Amino acid sequence: MTSLHSPLAHVELPEAHAHAGVTLREDKFRGHLNLRGNPQDEAFTSAAEKVLGVALPTAPNSAVENDAVRVYWLCPNEWLLLVAEGAEGQTEADLRAAMEGQHIAVTDLSSGQTLINLSGENLPEVMMKSTVYDCHESNFPVGKAVQTTFAKAGATIYKCADGSYDLVIRRSFADYIFLWLKDACAEYGLAVQ
Amino acid sequence: MLHIYCPYCEELREEEEFSYSGEAHIARPTDPEALTDAEWGDYVFFRKNPRGLHHEMWNHAAGCRRYFNATRDTQSYEIHETYKMGEKPSVTSQGAAQ
Repeated sequence: MTSLHSPLAHVELPEAHAHAGVTLREDKFRGHLNLRGNPQDEAFTSAAEKVLGVALPTAPNSAVENDAVRVYWLCPNEWLLLVAEGAEGQTEADLRAAMEGQHIAVTDLSSGQTLINLSGENLPEVMMKSTVYDCHESNFPVGKAVQTTFAKAGATIYKCADGSYDLVIRRSFADYIFLWLKDACAEYGLAVQ
Repeated sequence: MLHIYCPYCEELREEEEFSYSGEAHIARPTDPEALTDAEWGDYVFFRKNPRGLHHEMWNHAAGCRRYFNATRDTQSYEIHETYKMGEKPSVTSQGAAQ
């Protein structure tokens, strides 16, 4: 078995700050799967629901989750599935088995993306600096997921129930986004978990 | 910055998320072999460059990554409407807009 390396394994941690206004935690090695299919096709949606345990969300900018998976709506016929580390292979196989003969695509993106979680009392200020999307709670309630830019790099941002944000970013941008956050959070103090 | 309504995300988003993709509603010739070089050249290279209403394609590159159409005024930059691929514009220079 090959060993896994986090895209942020090498970064230099910021100097300890007396007060950490923002906390960054990498949720590394999660399974990321991209699923495509026709949402009007009853056979496709029911097969997906059977495997995942939740119905595919069809409302724009939404996401649903249960204990095993979080499903992001990406566009009318495309979803992102986040599963636990190591579960992506089995989920992909189950989806393929359940959808055999259908016009679908399941792609394993686990090694190309990573998930970082941002929390802390100064998070609103840092989000305002970093993304063009309006993160005020009236526009970005808990459970919403949007694909937008974060520090000019693409990101899929999800608002968690505890008020923190989960960012799905490309592995190749992880270093850049970390450096951006280190700089953007310098005035508030950044803690890395 | 422009605020552009993505008909798939059903939200106004920042211009930064989009990329412009040229004139809309260009039908590919059904029988390219039958075209003269001039007609093929028109299809491939020549585009409208109107002063006023223009129907054009945009791509929500940092969002849902879908192409959609927009009716934009090239003088004022005002975007009158955006609509999904395969739909017809409701704002045209023949009517509606005035």
